Amino acid sequence: MMQFAIWIENTEFFAYIRGSGYEFPVLLSLHLVGLAFFAGLILITDMRLLGWGLKGHSIATVVNATRWPKRIGFVWVAGCGFILGMSKAEGYFLNTFFQIKMMLFACVLIHALVFRPTVYNHPEELDKAPAIPGRAKLAAGLSLFLWLAILTMGRSIGYMGSPSGLHYSQLLKTILTLGRS
Amino acid sequence: MLIDNPINSYELVFPILEIFHIAGFGVAIGATAAVDFRILGLLPVEQTPSELSKATSRWMLGGLLVAIFSGMELYTSDPDMYYLNWSFLIKMMCLIVVIVLNYTLHRKIVASNSTSGGAKAVACLSLALWASVIFGGIFIAFIRGGL
Repeated sequence: MMQFAIWIENTEFFAYIRGSGYEFPVLLSLHLVGLAFFAGLILITDMRLLGWGLKGHSIATVVNATRWPKRIGFVWVAGCGFILGMSKAEGYFLNTFFQIKMMLFACVLIHALVFRPTVYNHPEELDKAPAIPGRAKLAAGLSLFLWLAILTMGRSIGYMGSPSGLHYSQLLKTILTLGRS
Repeated sequence: MLIDNPINSYELVFPILEIFHIAGFGVAIGATAAVDFRILGLLPVEQTPSELSKATSRWMLGGLLVAIFSGMELYTSDPDMYYLNWSFLIKMMCLIVVIVLNYTLHRKIVASNSTSGGAKAVACLSLALWASVIFGGIFIAFIRGGL
């Protein structure tokens, strides 16, 4: 895994992003702008599923209308995040907060796999129920929690560097040199 | 008697405040952006802009208050650095303009459910200003030069 991280961050494109003056902060800003715009759509969907807003409108109209904009927002945020992550892959792969953020992303995927068949792909059935089903409220609550946790972990990444004094690319080079000799 | 600022005395206070600051902005901007996207016709919902705004306005205000108050606390950690930093000044200018816009012209347009060219221009301006606030915040750490 670390060999992959060292290789990818040293490819021409990612090395350029890492060493650039303003490209990195511009990408970071675009990552956060996408996240903020994307957050509004998640908020609207989750609020409707929890019954906290837009009660005068069916769940189906809210869920169906925000589906594609949310997907576009996700690609935007994940695309910028991928470039940022790979440009400093070695440091990030060793960062505990980055590791937790990636685990939370895995939880988002599991959340989608679990709740899409019963909640998001059949919102019309939720409208037919006399009250909003518990599984829909659970899906919305977990979604809010996961995205806030991802945001929290994302910001925390900057407060933890790689383990002090141990730079893995240097360590790998030393091992390779020793192996050759 | 000189009292130490607790933000500088305890290393966890600054990152925790910053997380609240970013989460607050995320909620506030997200709530406003949804309404702006609706005005621009990029969010194909049947709800009118005013209905969307009604549903998200409390979240917007709550997020904004969290962002402002946590931001004020963050500012006290190193006021000299912040008020001499161009990026911070641009962020503050954009923030003041967008808050004034949001509670004046933007509010009128949302209430009228207009999707005319003028309404779309205001929605674009609102999105651009909120994006500038984020850019300004990020660039504080990358711009060393100041006034």
